[in-house]
Amino acid sequence: MQVHATSFPFLTSLLLCCGLGLAIILLLPAHREREIKLVSAVFSGLTLVISLYLYLAYDRDLGGQQFAESWEWVPALGIRFANAADGFSLPMLLLTGIVFFTAVLTAWELNYRVKEFFALTFLLVLGVFGLFMSLDLFFIFVWFDVSLFPMYLLIAIWGSTRKEYGAMKLTLYLLAGSALILPAILYLVVGAGLSSFSLITLMQEAVFSPGQQRLAFLLLYIGFGILAGVWPFHTWSPVGHVAAPTAVSMIHAGVLMKIGAFGILRVGIYLCPEGWSYWSPVMAFLATAGIVYGALVGLSQTDLKYVIGYSSVSHMGIVGLGLATLTVDGLSGAVYQMFAHGIMTALFFSSVGYIYDRTHTKAIADLGGLGRTLPRASSFFILAAMTGIGVPCLASFWGELVVFLSAVRVFPIYGALVVLALVISALFMLRVVQKTCYGPPLERYAGLDDMGNGAMVPRLILAAVIIGFGLFPGALFDMINSAAIPFIEGVLG
Amino acid sequence: MMSSPPIEVVLLLAVALGLPLTAFGVIMTLTRSQPRVSAIISLGAIAVAFGASLSLLIAHWGMPTPLVYEITWLVAGELPIPLGVLLDPTSLLMLTVVAAISLLVQIYSLGYMAGDPGFGRYYGCMSLFAWAMLTLTVSSSLIQLYIFWELVGLASYLLIGFWFEKWTASEAGKKAFVMTRLGDTAFLLGLILLWLNLGDLSIAGLNDPQVADRLSPGQLTLAAVLIFGGIIGKSAQFPLLTWLPDAMEGPTPVSALLHSATMVAAGVYLFARLFGFFSLSPAVMTLCLAVGTLSMLLAASMALVSRDIKQVWAYSTISQLGYMLMGLGAGGFTAGVFHLTTHAGFKALLFLCAGVLIHHFDTNDIFRMSQRGSRRQRLTLVCLVIGAAALSGLPPLSGFFSKEMILAHLAVHAHPFWLAAGLLGSFLTAYYTFRLIFVLLRPAAETPSDDAEGHHHSEPFGELCMAAVLVTLAGLTVVLGFGQGALTHFLSAAAGAPPPAPAHHLGWLPVVVLTLTGAAIVAAWWEFARQKRSETGWVDRFPTLATLFARRWYLDDLYRWLLDRVVYGGFSRAFTWNDQRVIDGGLDGLGQTVIDWGAISARLNRSQIQFRLMVLFAVVAVLVLYLAFA
Repeated sequence: MQVHATSFPFLTSLLLCCGLGLAIILLLPAHREREIKLVSAVFSGLTLVISLYLYLAYDRDLGGQQFAESWEWVPALGIRFANAADGFSLPMLLLTGIVFFTAVLTAWELNYRVKEFFALTFLLVLGVFGLFMSLDLFFIFVWFDVSLFPMYLLIAIWGSTRKEYGAMKLTLYLLAGSALILPAILYLVVGAGLSSFSLITLMQEAVFSPGQQRLAFLLLYIGFGILAGVWPFHTWSPVGHVAAPTAVSMIHAGVLMKIGAFGILRVGIYLCPEGWSYWSPVMAFLATAGIVYGALVGLSQTDLKYVIGYSSVSHMGIVGLGLATLTVDGLSGAVYQMFAHGIMTALFFSSVGYIYDRTHTKAIADLGGLGRTLPRASSFFILAAMTGIGVPCLASFWGELVVFLSAVRVFPIYGALVVLALVISALFMLRVVQKTCYGPPLERYAGLDDMGNGAMVPRLILAAVIIGFGLFPGALFDMINSAAIPFIEGVLG
Repeated sequence: MMSSPPIEVVLLLAVALGLPLTAFGVIMTLTRSQPRVSAIISLGAIAVAFGASLSLLIAHWGMPTPLVYEITWLVAGELPIPLGVLLDPTSLLMLTVVAAISLLVQIYSLGYMAGDPGFGRYYGCMSLFAWAMLTLTVSSSLIQLYIFWELVGLASYLLIGFWFEKWTASEAGKKAFVMTRLGDTAFLLGLILLWLNLGDLSIAGLNDPQVADRLSPGQLTLAAVLIFGGIIGKSAQFPLLTWLPDAMEGPTPVSALLHSATMVAAGVYLFARLFGFFSLSPAVMTLCLAVGTLSMLLAASMALVSRDIKQVWAYSTISQLGYMLMGLGAGGFTAGVFHLTTHAGFKALLFLCAGVLIHHFDTNDIFRMSQRGSRRQRLTLVCLVIGAAALSGLPPLSGFFSKEMILAHLAVHAHPFWLAAGLLGSFLTAYYTFRLIFVLLRPAAETPSDDAEGHHHSEPFGELCMAAVLVTLAGLTVVLGFGQGALTHFLSAAAGAPPPAPAHHLGWLPVVVLTLTGAAIVAAWWEFARQKRSETGWVDRFPTLATLFARRWYLDDLYRWLLDRVVYGGFSRAFTWNDQRVIDGGLDGLGQTVIDWGAISARLNRSQIQFRLMVLFAVVAVLVLYLAFA
C-alpha cells in the first residue's frame, strides 16, 4: 500500500482540536456554562471543517494512505505515533466530525454538570478520531480504550432508565472485547518478530501462517465485533442506547459502533486475510441472524429508544454481512452503510431526544399525535425512519442495495433472508412512526414548544447529509472504492 | 437497434422530470405553510412536465427505433447503476398519461382540498409522486425502475396516510407500504438474480430474445416469477390485493391518481415494459393469465356487495388491472397497454365524480347519498354515467374498445376457459357498476335542508376547477376509443413488443359481450331501480356468499392471523424472550456467580480470629485422632 506524507500535520491537528477544546473546557470555571458550550461548538465545528477538508483534499486517483505523519514513540518496542487516512478512514473521520458537531449542538439544552459533560465528550471523541486515523496497533488499542471509559461516566451520571445497570453492562462488555483485542495484537506483533507495531510494516513484511491468522482473526472479530453489535453479543447496545443521554446516544450509535466494524476491517481483515476468508461463512451467519433477529425483536419493544437500539443491531448486521462477502461490492457497501447508519441513527436519537425532553416519556404507548403537536421534530423522526426502512434516494438505501447484491451472489440463502427482512424492518419502523407521530393530538402535550430555529440546525445538517448522499451516492462510493478495489485486488486477486 | 436521442430532448426531459422534485423540495422546506404558493409551484411543475411529454409524444409519433440515453449514477464495485431514459412508444404513452392525469387531479384538488390544514403538504407529496412516477415510466434500466418504484411506494404511503390523525388512515398507509414491500422484495431478488447471470439490467437488453440463451430455463422462470411478485404487490393482485380497498382512506383525488389511474397501473406497466422478457417463459405468461383472472373475478365479487362508492371503484380497479394482465398474459401486448390507457381516463373520472359526491353529501355510502338527493347533482351524474358505461364496456366509449381487444385476444390465443372467465367478469362489472348508478339515480328520500345541501360551501373557483376536470375527462373517455387504430400502429415500435398480429375481427364476440352487459344492466335495473328502497340484490339473499364477499374472501383475516400469531406472537416474542432471559439472563447470572464466588473467597479471607482458631483446633484434633488410631 502506498503511503504519502503530508506537508502539514492535518490529522494531528484534528486530534489537537479535541485536546485543546478539552483543555480549555477544563480551565473554564464550571458556572460559565454558556462559554463552555461555545468553546465546545467552536472546537467540534473545527474538527468538522478539518475532516471535511481532508475528505475533499484526498487525491482519489493517487489512492493509498495520504496525509501520513509518523513520529517515534517507544523505539525499543517499535511503537510509533503514526497516522494516515485512506478511502476507508476518511468517510469515518467525516462521519465523526458531523456527528460530534451535531451532538454538541443537540446538547445545547443540557444544564446539569455542563463542564464535566462536555469534557468527557471531548475525551471520548478524541479516542474515536485517534482510532480512525492510527496506523499503529499499540495506538489503535489505546484509542479504543480512551473512547470506552468516558462512556461509563456519561451514561451513569447523565443517563436515564436503569442507567447504572446500562453503564456497567456496556463497560463490562466492551472491556471483554478489549481483553480479546490486546492478546490478539500482541500475538500478531510477537508472531511477526519484526519488533514493530506498525500496521503497514506488518501488512507488507510479516508472514503469518493460516493457523495464526485464523486464531488472531477470531479474537479480533469477536473483540471488535462486540462493539459493532454483532449478534449474539449485542444486548449491551440497546440497553446502553436507552440509558445514555441524547448526545451520547448519538455519538455512541452513530460513531462508536462504527469503531468496532472499522477495527475488524483495519486490523482483522488487513492483517489476517486468510483468517477472514476462513471465518467469513460464520460472519455471514451471525450478520444475517443479527439483521433478522434485530428487526423481529424491535417489533415488540415498548420503549422508543429500545426500538432504535434494535434497529441499530439490525443495520449493523448489514455492515457485517458486507464485510463477510469478500468482494469489492460487499466491502464498499459495508463502509457506505457504516457512514449512512451513523448519520441516520444520529438523526433518530437527536429527534427522539427532543421529543423525550418535552414529553418526558419514551414509552410508545404514552405518545401519539406528535405530528400535530411537534411537527418539526416529527418530520425529522419520520425522515430518519424512512432512511431506516431503506427508501431510495436517502443515504442508507445504497449501502443496503450494494450489500444485498453481493450477499445474494456469495451467500444466496442468507441474501434472500435478508432481503425478506426488509418487510419486517418496514413494519417495525412504520409501527413506531404511526404510534408516536400519527393519531389525534393528545391533550396533555398540547402546549409543547416545537423546535426553534436553533434546535433545527443540527437536525437540518444531518437531514441534508442523508438526502445529499442519497441523491449523489457516488461522492461517497468513489472515495471508498479508491481503497476497496486495490485492497481486494491485493488480497484476493 | 438503439439510438441516442438528440440532446435537446434529453435536456427537456431532465427539466420536465426535475421540476416536480424541485417543487417537492421547495414546498416541504419553505412554503409548506403557504397553501396558495405551494399549489402554484406544484401545478407549474406538473404543467411543464405535461407539456414536455405531450410534445415528445407528438414529435416521436412515427418513431422507428427506441431512443436510449444514460449517464452513470453510481458505480458500486462491479455494478454500474445508470440514470437514464428509454423513449419508446410504451414509455411515451405512459409518460403522457401519467402527466395528464396528474395535472388534472392537481387542478381538481384546488377545489377538493381547499381549506385543508395540510394543503401545502398535500401538494408537496403530489409533486413527489409526480417526480417518482414520471421517472419510473422512462427508466432505461430495471434497477432504476426499481428505485423509482420504491419512491412511488413512499409517496403512496404519505398520501394514503395524509389525514394522519385518523387512525384508519395511518393503518391503511402502513398496510399499503408493507404489503407492496412484500412484493418488492421478490422483485428485488429477481432483479439481483438477473444481474448476477446477465451482468446487465437495461430494459432493452432484457427484452432481447437472446436472454433465453444466457439463462438456464429454471433461472429464467425463477427470475420472471420473482419480478412478477413485485407486480402482484404494486397492482394489488391476488393474493396481495387487500391493501388497495383500505387505501381509499386517503383523499379522493389521491385515490383517483395513485390508486386507480397511475401508480397501481405501474405493475401492469412493468409487465408491458418487460413483455419481451416475460414472453420467453410460457409458465410465467400462464401464471400472469391465472393471477389476472383470479384477481379480476375475486375483486368483482367483492364489489357486488360494497355500499361504499370508493370501495366499489377500488375493487373495480383491481378487477380491471386483472383484465390488463389477462390481456398481456395471453400475449396481447397492445390490448393490455390500450386498456391501461383508457382505464386511466375513465377510472380517474369515476373517482373524481365520487369525490364530488362525497364532498357534497359527506358520506361514502351510496344509499345514504341517494337518500340525500344525489340525483340532483346533474353534471356529476352525467359524467359518472359516462365513466360507468365505459367501465362496463358500452360502445362507443373508450372502455368498450379496449376490453373488446382483450377479449378478442383471449378468444383467439387462449384456452376457452379464460374467455369464459373474461365474459363472466364483464357481466359482473356491468352489474355492480349499474347497481351503483341506479341507486344514485333514485329519487331523494329526504327533503333538501340547508344542512344537507350546503354541507360544504366551496368557493366558486374550486367548484369550477372540479367541474372542468370532470368534463375534460368525460370528453377523453368519449373520444379515446376511436384512437385504437392509431395507437395500435404506434405501439408496434415499442421495445419488447411482439410483431403486430393480424387483427381479428370476430363478429360474434361483440354481440355476446353486449348481450351479457345488457343483461347485467337489466338485472341491476330490476333489483335497484324498479323496486323502491330495496338495498339488497340477489347476492344478499345468500348470506354466506355476501359475507364471504364483504370480508374479502377472508384474506385479511388470514393476514391478520399470520401477523399476530406468527410474526408478533411467534418469532418476535420468542426472540425477545431469548434476549431477555437467555442472553441477558445468562450474563446477569454469570455476573451474580462472580459476585457469589467473590463473597465466598472474601469470607475465607476475613480476619475472624476466633473462627480461624476454632477451625485450626478442629483440624489439629482430627489429625491427632487420626494419627493416634491409624
